[in-house]
Amino acid sequence: MDTKKMLIWGAVAVVAVIALVMLLRPAGSGVKDVSPERAAQIVADGVRVIDVRTQAEYEMGAIPGAENVPMDQLAAASANWDPAEPLLIYCTTGARSTQAVHYLEQQGFKTVYHLAAGLVAWQGDLEHGSEVAPMPAEGEPTNTPVMYEFFTDW
Amino acid sequence: MKPVVDRLKAEYEGRVEFRLYNVEESSEGQRLMQQYNAQYVPTFVFLNSDGTEAKRMVGETPEKNMRAILDSLK
Repeated sequence: MDTKKMLIWGAVAVVAVIALVMLLRPAGSGVKDVSPERAAQIVADGVRVIDVRTQAEYEMGAIPGAENVPMDQLAAASANWDPAEPLLIYCTTGARSTQAVHYLEQQGFKTVYHLAAGLVAWQGDLEHGSEVAPMPAEGEPTNTPVMYEFFTDW
Repeated sequence: MKPVVDRLKAEYEGRVEFRLYNVEESSEGQRLMQQYNAQYVPTFVFLNSDGTEAKRMVGETPEKNMRAILDSLK
């Protein structure tokens, strides 16, 4: 068999394997990455929203109506959920929620929407996080306005 | 919030000075947090150039809200 034929048969074999894998995917495979705009529509439609960040993060600001199920509690909590019920999953940046949606996919959940860009990309309102009254100013005049952020890595 | 803050910092360069403190690592950040009576993280304190405090936000803050506040600073 010459090299050209080998390449053609190799390509055919790769396509066949990919097709077979697609056909044999678990029936529950239903993760859909969605944009912040699409996520807002999904929230408005009343889909159950799960926030997989820590409780402390959740209390500082969350999508309205979201339930807080931290990653370390997801397995226990989701054991009682209906796999047919659509879910929207998010965290801060999409890192933890990626693990969560893969887990839920393995458990057979049919429709899992994933806010892949995370809460940082969310353009809608938030619960909890809020404007608070300014404190008596102790700042000194500067050449330009200033924004302070006090944060941690969690 | 880091990707949002990084994006805004670049966009508002020359118009608003961003002073960002990881208060677990920065003693100066801890001192300033006390000075501004900030009790939670993240806290955002927005100051006009005359030193007066314009706004203060606690918790995850949508980018559009941040922009609105930054645009309103004098």
